[in-house]
Amino acid sequence: MSPETAELPDLGAAAPPPAGAADLEVCSVSKSYGDRLVLDDVSLTVHAGESVAITGENGAGKSTLLRICAGLIKPDSGHVSVRGRVGFCPQEPGLFDLLSADEHLAMFAPALGLTREQAIREGHALLAEFSFPTAERTQCRRLSGGARQKVNLALALLGNATVLLLDEPYQGFDHGSYVSFWEHVARWTAAGLGVVVVTHLLEENALVEGVVSRVVEMNITRCEEDPPQ
Amino acid sequence: MRLRRILVPAEMTARELARRGLALGLLTALPLAFYVASTHSGSDAVITGGIAMAFSIAGASIFIAMTARPVDQRLTLAGYRPYELLLGRLLLLELFGLAIAGLFSIVMVFGTGPQDPWLLAGGVGLVALTSVPFGLAVGSLVPNELEGVLILIGVVGVQLTLQSTQTLAKFLPFWGAQRLLQHSVEGTVSVSAALPASLAYSLALFFAAAYIVHRRAPVPVSAAEFPAPGQSVPSA
Repeated sequence: MSPETAELPDLGAAAPPPAGAADLEVCSVSKSYGDRLVLDDVSLTVHAGESVAITGENGAGKSTLLRICAGLIKPDSGHVSVRGRVGFCPQEPGLFDLLSADEHLAMFAPALGLTREQAIREGHALLAEFSFPTAERTQCRRLSGGARQKVNLALALLGNATVLLLDEPYQGFDHGSYVSFWEHVARWTAAGLGVVVVTHLLEENALVEGVVSRVVEMNITRCEEDPPQ
Repeated sequence: MRLRRILVPAEMTARELARRGLALGLLTALPLAFYVASTHSGSDAVITGGIAMAFSIAGASIFIAMTARPVDQRLTLAGYRPYELLLGRLLLLELFGLAIAGLFSIVMVFGTGPQDPWLLAGGVGLVALTSVPFGLAVGSLVPNELEGVLILIGVVGVQLTLQSTQTLAKFLPFWGAQRLLQHSVEGTVSVSAALPASLAYSLALFFAAAYIVHRRAPVPVSAAEFPAPGQSVPSA
């Protein structure tokens, strides 16, 4: 049930650091849920300016790995180190149904050391890039799945995160927004952020190939890494 | 601790609560229905109606705590401390609870004509005071809303069926309020322990809620092992 790292003990160290120092380091992390071993001695390093796509079948532990990286789950063994601040976009949008996108931005503002105006201005800029109607004050419960996901993504990007952990962040996106998402991944990495994207759809879009630095495949039985591009 | 980190969650809780129009109406109507339904039993209606207010305020607190739970992890990850979010909600819900308590006290003072109206208002106020941390603690602890509601019904229901002089009643959270309400209409029981008991229970419940949300908060990831910018990166 775990990605086997014996063949690739140091997923991140297999290639020299592509740009700058490490932003995220996962060392020998293991995690079980009851009797079910989900992660077994997984290691991964993501450097500044690098984007890593994590692929794999359902139940391979992709989301668990990301949640451990974010600090939301404690690993049974091993440790995670992060330089700077993590921006985490969960698979299921964690939003207040009765609040609008602007109210979410206002809610996150004090946590990020931003004024309400700064957070809304910055959030609107992010949302507008994904064609979200920022002029509307619709409560999140009345937004479409894709629009909710855009709010979810914008909250992860708000503030000055150095590492982005994105768990299938484009669910419900239309094709244009999906293409735009991968263009943004390229921009974020060019700006020096470390980006980790859990994804199922790598094969479906050729443009992804030019964007991600590395692909880490997590299977039920093993974990493999494509050569760096 | 910056005040803004408490006031903004309080504000957003207020906005959320204000948009639950139907729920707010039902929350206000519920204790009123208990009070009206028990007016035939004379002064007991005050005790029944007053304690039933816990259904409203603790119920609202449970739902606020449970709907916030998935977002709170992200908010904490972004930089909030769990107790700041909790304090913000506590502040807003206490204000909401005391407002409901004030209105309900006026209804019961005019409806029943107690010996001591101020003591009645104090008893209803204590119900509001205790209900919020009780709801926040239950909402933080249970896995689903159903379990939370069942605990609420169980605790408040048992408190309603017991006399304040019974031993078990003294171990329940609304005992202090029950004593004040009883004394306000009958003047027969001692109320010296009522306020300390309610305050102690409220504080204990708040700290229990704080402990639960703290335990559930994201684990800070270490940054200690990274070299300073410009230095070499250790291999994994």
